[in-house]
Amino acid sequence: MATFELYRRSSIGMCLTETLDEMVSTGALSPELAIQVLMQFDRSMTEALETQVKSKVTIKGHLHTYRFCDNVWTFILQDATFKSDEFNDQARRVKIVACDSKLLSQ
Amino acid sequence: MATNVSAVYIQVVDDVISKIRDEFINFGAGESALAELQAMWEMKMMQAGAISGNIERPAPQKNVAPTPVHDLNVPYEGPIEEYETPTADMLFPPTPIQTPLPGTDSGMYNIPTGPSDYAPSPIADIRNSLDLKTGRPSPYMQPPSPWMNQRPLGVDVNVAYVDGRQETDRGSSQQAMTQNVVNQLHKGSPKHGQGSGTSKVIPDRGRPALLPQSDGVQDDYDDLFPFQGVATEDYNTPGDHVELRTPTPAVATPKPNKDEAEDDEPSLNEDDDDDDELDDDQDDDEPNTQHLVLALFDKVTRTKSRWKCTLKDGIMHLNNRDILFNKANGEFEF
Repeated sequence: MATFELYRRSSIGMCLTETLDEMVSTGALSPELAIQVLMQFDRSMTEALETQVKSKVTIKGHLHTYRFCDNVWTFILQDATFKSDEFNDQARRVKIVACDSKLLSQ
Repeated sequence: MATNVSAVYIQVVDDVISKIRDEFINFGAGESALAELQAMWEMKMMQAGAISGNIERPAPQKNVAPTPVHDLNVPYEGPIEEYETPTADMLFPPTPIQTPLPGTDSGMYNIPTGPSDYAPSPIADIRNSLDLKTGRPSPYMQPPSPWMNQRPLGVDVNVAYVDGRQETDRGSSQQAMTQNVVNQLHKGSPKHGQGSGTSKVIPDRGRPALLPQSDGVQDDYDDLFPFQGVATEDYNTPGDHVELRTPTPAVATPKPNKDEAEDDEPSLNEDDDDDDELDDDQDDDEPNTQHLVLALFDKVTRTKSRWKCTLKDGIMHLNNRDILFNKANGEFEF
């Protein structure tokens, strides 16, 4: 079953990747097992985002760069604002990476 | 809310751990490896600030301490090289080359205290012997340089000078040597000169009491020392020429004097399109974080220069904190 490896770039994903790298380099884990862990993480993260999160955000900003390659959109925004019921944030420069949601259900 | 994000992350961790438990058993990795994985993962997340310190879980056996790794019977071999106090582990490190950064560590024992002050310490002895084993420049090489300063200058100082330049942790001795060289320069003693063909300081020895020029290659540089080997000079950047002929203490920091490069082509302006502005802005605001949004897109449309997109199931990392969303609407102006 294919997974989106997108979330491995998040904080939680990077922590997991670093942990697995350390354990593989010390020999505590085999590389195949580490890959299995990462794939399970992909699935669990996707499912958690679908079911446990219920917030809505509005993003506005100046689009500096856009790219669509391999069904992945990458935007680089400048002076972006993020609004939701709970918070208001701003960022001088933010990168948005988005995979096609329809690919999962295929 | 931040705690909500924390709770979601904890749940993801638990979910992953429980689902790969079978895989671990099948692969023969064992429960301890699984526990170590979970502990390390959570510790890193806490260090990164992704989750808060209080981990409340349904499972009762996990305690609430922020460092659960200590509670597990796991031989967690942490970064041993960070320990400074002498312990049994220090004297007999588990791996032979488990020594910290050579520059900083040997610097601790070398520079200010002199050659023999650290002899009594058993740690220094062990480290010195380890250094010899691993072939790094042992601290015992330091003693030769102070007495070399007092010898009549000549070939030896050239050699020592080159050594001092090349080894960055001999800061004090290097300065002493360069000062000595400068003194000789001003005295104009012509004893030394072309003895060693390798030193880069030679050109100035032969000229009595004349300060070297710094605005270009010495006019009769080639005539003075025709055997110097132009080939070696070709590999030097123009900045190095400046450095070589001004043996002041400032020589340690070569002046990047681009004006004197004779063979430089006209500037290509190749950096004009770099994101310099963006990088500078980034340094001002967020030294370490890159704001990032990872999500799935439902639809991306554009009308003229107005872009609209609908995203879902995303993780945002903004201003050093994580925010999760189920849906997002974006409107961007290109």
